[in-house]
Amino acid sequence: MKFTLTILLMSFSAILHSQQKVVSGRIINNATSAPLAGATVQSGSRSVTTDSLGRFSIQSRIGETITASYIGMVSASVKVDASTGNLSLLLNQGTVDLNTVVVTGYQTQKKADLTGAVSVVNISEIKDIPTGNAIKSIQGRVPGVFITSNGNPSGASTVRIRGIGTLGNNDPLYVVDGIPTKRGLEELNQNDIESMQVLKDASSASIYGSRAANGVIIITTKKGKKGYSRVDFNASVSMEYYNTKLKTLNAQQRGAAYFQASVNDRSDPNNNQIYQFDWNNDFDNPVLNQVVLPEYIDAANTMRPADTYWYDEIAQTSILQSYNLTFSNGSERGNSLFSIGYFGNKGIVKETFNQKVTARANADYSFFNNRLKIGENLSASYIKNSLVPVGDVMFTALVQQPIVPVHTEAGGWGGPASGMTDRHNPVRLIEDNKQNKSHFFRVFGNAFADLEIIKNLHLRSTFGVDYDGTFQRTLRKSYVSGFLSDPSNQVSTSQVLEGNWIWQNTLNYNFEIDQSRFEVLAGSEQIKYLNQNFTGSRQGYVLENIDYSYLDAGSSNVQNGGIGSAYSLASFFGKINYSLSNKYLLSGTLRRDGSSRFGSANRYGVFPAFSAGWRLSEESFIKKSVPVISDLKIRYGWGKNGNQEIANNATNSLYSAIYGTEHIFDTDLGTAYDLTGAGSGQLPSGFVRTQLGNDSLKWESTTQSNIGVDFGLFDNKVVGSVDYFVKKTSDILINPGYLAVIGEGGNRWFNGASMQNTGLEFLLSYTATISRDIEFTVTGNMATYRNKVTKLPEEVLTAYPGNGTNKTIIGQPINSRFGFIADGLFQNQNEVDNSPAQPGKGVGRLRFRDLNKDNIINDDDRDYIGKFDPDFTYGINFAIRCKNFDLSFFLQGVKGIDVYNDNITYTDFSSLWPGTNWGARVLDAWTPSNTGSSIPALTLVNKNDEGRTSTYYVENGSYLRLRNVQLSYTLRDKLKSLRFQSAQIFIQGSNLFMVKSKSISATDPESVNNAYPIPSMGTIGLNLTF
Amino acid sequence: MILTATVSCKKFLDQTPQGAIDSEKLNTPENIDKLVVAAYSALGNEMIHTSYSLWPWGSMRSGDAYKGGDGPGDNSEWHDYETFVTNRTSNSRTDLMWAQCYNAIRRVNEALERIDAVDASVYPDKVVRTAEMRFLRGHFYFMLKILFKYVPYIDETIDQKAYGTVSNRQFTNDELWSKIADEFRFAIDNLPDEQSEIGRPLKSTAQAYLAKTLLYKAYRQDEDNSVTGIDPGDLNDVVSLADEVIGSGKYDLAADFSENFQGSTENGKESVFAIQYSRDDGTPFGRINMGQALVYPMNQEFGCCWQHIPSQNLVNAFKTDANGLPMFEHYDDIDVTEGDDFIVNTFDPRLDHTVAIPGHPWKYKPDFIYQESWARAPAIYGYYTTLKGTVAPDDPTFQKIPPFMSSSSNWQLIRFADVLLWKAEALIELGRKDEALPLINQVRQRAVNSTGRLKQMNGNYTSTYKIELYEQGVNTDWTEDEARQALEWERRLEFAMEGSRFFDLVRWGIAAEYLNHYFSTESSKRTYLQTASFQKGRDEYLPIPLNQINYSKGLYTQNTNW
Repeated sequence: MKFTLTILLMSFSAILHSQQKVVSGRIINNATSAPLAGATVQSGSRSVTTDSLGRFSIQSRIGETITASYIGMVSASVKVDASTGNLSLLLNQGTVDLNTVVVTGYQTQKKADLTGAVSVVNISEIKDIPTGNAIKSIQGRVPGVFITSNGNPSGASTVRIRGIGTLGNNDPLYVVDGIPTKRGLEELNQNDIESMQVLKDASSASIYGSRAANGVIIITTKKGKKGYSRVDFNASVSMEYYNTKLKTLNAQQRGAAYFQASVNDRSDPNNNQIYQFDWNNDFDNPVLNQVVLPEYIDAANTMRPADTYWYDEIAQTSILQSYNLTFSNGSERGNSLFSIGYFGNKGIVKETFNQKVTARANADYSFFNNRLKIGENLSASYIKNSLVPVGDVMFTALVQQPIVPVHTEAGGWGGPASGMTDRHNPVRLIEDNKQNKSHFFRVFGNAFADLEIIKNLHLRSTFGVDYDGTFQRTLRKSYVSGFLSDPSNQVSTSQVLEGNWIWQNTLNYNFEIDQSRFEVLAGSEQIKYLNQNFTGSRQGYVLENIDYSYLDAGSSNVQNGGIGSAYSLASFFGKINYSLSNKYLLSGTLRRDGSSRFGSANRYGVFPAFSAGWRLSEESFIKKSVPVISDLKIRYGWGKNGNQEIANNATNSLYSAIYGTEHIFDTDLGTAYDLTGAGSGQLPSGFVRTQLGNDSLKWESTTQSNIGVDFGLFDNKVVGSVDYFVKKTSDILINPGYLAVIGEGGNRWFNGASMQNTGLEFLLSYTATISRDIEFTVTGNMATYRNKVTKLPEEVLTAYPGNGTNKTIIGQPINSRFGFIADGLFQNQNEVDNSPAQPGKGVGRLRFRDLNKDNIINDDDRDYIGKFDPDFTYGINFAIRCKNFDLSFFLQGVKGIDVYNDNITYTDFSSLWPGTNWGARVLDAWTPSNTGSSIPALTLVNKNDEGRTSTYYVENGSYLRLRNVQLSYTLRDKLKSLRFQSAQIFIQGSNLFMVKSKSISATDPESVNNAYPIPSMGTIGLNLTF
Repeated sequence: MILTATVSCKKFLDQTPQGAIDSEKLNTPENIDKLVVAAYSALGNEMIHTSYSLWPWGSMRSGDAYKGGDGPGDNSEWHDYETFVTNRTSNSRTDLMWAQCYNAIRRVNEALERIDAVDASVYPDKVVRTAEMRFLRGHFYFMLKILFKYVPYIDETIDQKAYGTVSNRQFTNDELWSKIADEFRFAIDNLPDEQSEIGRPLKSTAQAYLAKTLLYKAYRQDEDNSVTGIDPGDLNDVVSLADEVIGSGKYDLAADFSENFQGSTENGKESVFAIQYSRDDGTPFGRINMGQALVYPMNQEFGCCWQHIPSQNLVNAFKTDANGLPMFEHYDDIDVTEGDDFIVNTFDPRLDHTVAIPGHPWKYKPDFIYQESWARAPAIYGYYTTLKGTVAPDDPTFQKIPPFMSSSSNWQLIRFADVLLWKAEALIELGRKDEALPLINQVRQRAVNSTGRLKQMNGNYTSTYKIELYEQGVNTDWTEDEARQALEWERRLEFAMEGSRFFDLVRWGIAAEYLNHYFSTESSKRTYLQTASFQKGRDEYLPIPLNQINYSKGLYTQNTNW
């Protein structure tokens, strides 16, 4: 098929009558009296930038308005009249500015003209927060953007815009300097970011069509600005602390708890291989005199009993450092910016780290009287990560018994002995993996040419690249650690190269006819993605040293493997924005996307959108009668987005030759067999089907309606917005379980599910200037959403929480749990006898609720339990400036959410995992003399099936966290002699305190179940501008 | 002004799949042979939770073994199996095993569809390969049959698009057995007497499997899983098929019982059909027996996971009386647990081939003594562990696959002792109990001869062994009841921990009473069994997995009383 895009544009001419004059002046920061370099000054359609002393000079006309704007500040305007001469405009700090230029996808718009749900991130609030990931820094600051994260030094986090919208990949699309990518922002330098906008609804995001259903986050990086040159240097150093260690039993307590469990069972407590007990041998009235530790805990007499608190052994107080140096330069002919950054985060789990070196070069050059602009934005990142298996380390710190020493007497590794869980010594996991690192690089950027064909008609062509590679060489050491051992060692090398090129061509034309303003966009985009990887490994290394550990040095079990994947996308799009008298706003978008991932019949999807806005505040009846309203806009948008996040070859039926697989925990899917009975050597092998194709696959589409109000009161001292949305996703791409008789490779993608999210978002901000020296801003936001699954094929319902028949996920949130209601503990035999039949019930045991009242506790008594989407999330930021001091603090919270805490199987029970260590909570377990406890009586034998999914594991996960507090001091007059333009020092604290539910046993509701702990941090930093 | 952008996008969006092959390219004779290999490889494509030895179903549910491991929470799905009461139709292991067997059957049907479509003139092995594939299909359906009773029967004649229309009740219980028997009958008719590759079945292999199938089929069951009668026609076929296998001269009992459970003696004369495992074969860990990866004890040589633990009841069953015969009535009155218990009592020597007991050598290695410290949760499951299915750490077939370990020792799906005892069982039920006596004694005689490797460092036997043959008029009257009891005991002791006991109990129609009696006695020693209870008319078979009933959109019918 040939697609021909033809656009016929007519020229308009407008006769200009006004009188021209040149206006010059200075733009000054009202708070600091410092000149603002790089501020934008606009008059009509012309715009200039202030120089290093804040000076500007602009062609203007009498009657026009000159507007000065600067990121993070409230714009100031003045009307030009005959007397206008040398202007001096003072800008105030502020959060909302209607003239802020917002990038909305292949074009820019003024905030006042927006008709979709677009959130603008206040970069100045987050620029000093050292998280290593800009998106992590905005957690709780943007309503409708739900960010969950843990303390991993890499800074990776999960971003959900307006809830979970699909059953597959829910990550938003990031667009960095116009180039779309699905990779997270932790790979880029936070300091390079000039602005960040979140396109939340379909009418704003649909210009990104096929990949925009999860929302779009638009990043613009810093550029050199005309008329000034400067050098910025930022440095900060943070200390990180692990303050949320779980309380586990010490060696004596573990023994005493075991004793209690054993005598509760009326079984001989001395019938175990770890502890012996000096007791009165009276099961009716047991008295423990002493827990007797063995001389050695292992038969080989290598380990003496210890009292190890494993969390202390794996943790460290660590240091995070961040340095950035930015050079920028701008002139009439071109602008350039070069930055380098270093980010080094040693984690609070020993030997974990993240090191990031980033460089950026952004430049643009103007030719032919600014008619042609050529430029590039290029960033390169190199990231080194530790490959310490943190999940295992965190888990084993919980379960490894305290009596196990870190080291044997001879200096070898301590490890589990008889009667203990078969889990590793977490310190060994750290030490034996610390030499293993992952190396990652990414080259991401574009080159563009922008030609102004006629006035305000721009043809822009951009070619972008986004390639990354990962290289890992890992040495798996041999070890003996208690009864765990592996005499073999292995070196593995793996390499992945992947990425895409992207070619965009757009045509933008802005014009005005009387009171009508038009912005017209048309364009095309092509993306081609390729991935190739290979792995190799060998065993039999005589030295276990990473410098020796190259494949060549290995002598046995030579293995290798590799695979690749590819896809391509081709898109065409157009958009028209129309504004009448700055009051009535209309916008329409159409995008047509093709993806290689879909069958030829359904390869293309069309994604339309429209939106409308009404700026009531521009109406004279508001202006006159309600003067407190300085700004009021009602907007509505509707649109459709797509999702193509499925396997690349989902339309094809495929067969593969799979000689053998790494089948440790999984079924071996191999096709080789030892037909000759030789027992070793090369085997004959075959093919197996790996996938059933579906050539009728089509795009998954999300339809979203959004209604919103933006308002400003009292001269925009109070500003805010409210948005309500309904987001329906249909034809969700699923690859569910299938009738087993279809056999191996019977998995098949199809469009089969629907889901709905509705939600509300509020943003409110108040700015007050008490005096020239004191001003403050309070910004609060709140967001909520409700998710439910509205359609799924009946036969796959059992793959989701529910009983598959009358209680199904349909109508329930996708984040649901299905289980029993734990109804406290049986207090006495009478209660046990008079309760429904429940196998294993007894005094001190969990009682489960008989939901269907049939007097039997069985599967029919399960229902949906817990609530795993929040009632709402919120954030409040206070910023106070007093003379040279700035104080800000930011509180972030989640209210009305449950967490399912699997670790309770270890912290509250001696019976579910009898060989592990247990939580200190078991010391408070129910006994006939401690009947107030909610923790079941200790036992070694889980007769009552208490590990079943039940409300016992559902905990209130609400929290309010002091996410960040910062005090900074700006040096002013003292600097002039030192040639600094500005200098600021600050101290900062992160995660200093948290309010959480009294009932939750998890130490941090944000990171339950062995996630990387979230550190508390103290930072000192410095920002210098030369 | 006119702008024209032209993109040739059809070609741009045509993306060839990477690293995969189209179905049509597999129809060449060479590739069909490879699809046959892929079907064979399914014989060993099990995982830690789906052992093709069937121990979690055939042994752990039979009173011969406990689950073991860290406690009831460790592989709790198996705990639900072991105690029956909490087993549910949604138990994920049930679905896993069902799917694994059908994955294998699909590989067989994939090969057969393509074999059928190719002419013998270009594919000379057509008939033999068809017979091999049907043999394998019979094997997988046999497993499904004893696990689930009613299963959908899908062969290569059914169009793939129609798989969803095949009910698990298309055939009756008896018809399903006949379908399986037909697979082996075809194999008998078309397989050669010899094959160059030991992994492929022979005519005699198929005869043995048909004998097994018909023995199960002979015990007719009603809808409530009760045995309603034993069909003499089937039994006669069992006898004649067993005779052909025995008469083929290809097989014999291994001289020492241990040869069946060691890598160095695999593919011996007792092996009728075995899964051919391998290591050092170009795969990362070898194509080893993952089904036995959880059963090794907790010492430095092994280290995980101490599951499949012989029950006290089983250990007691190896006791022999003054005549050297099993203590049929009172074997479980007094527990033998440790130390001198194994010296002052007398035992069938198969005990120390089957059960690791503290203080006794591990796998015939006098310098490698099983320690109490190798047990993982003795307060719950006692101190024993299993020996069959494991090898010593210095065995050439031993393979670590951290955190697990296993071996490439073959697993015998049918060994010759089985053939002898099937025939004996058929003869007893045909009223020809006297002819069964020498067969049972043949198996016992080998046990008598199998003490040579059961010695300690000082040369003494590990336990006191006393085992005699049955001698009519001397130590037995050999009534029909006695013969049946002898047969049942011989099967238990000979095949203990090999995954067949539960299916024997169900075949004989005694599972409910046997297991509930076991729970009542064993639960005083192992308190977690206090909740255990076997529901007659239900627990003889696993439920059809809930997932499958749903995926079939209600086409499949759930098993009785589930």
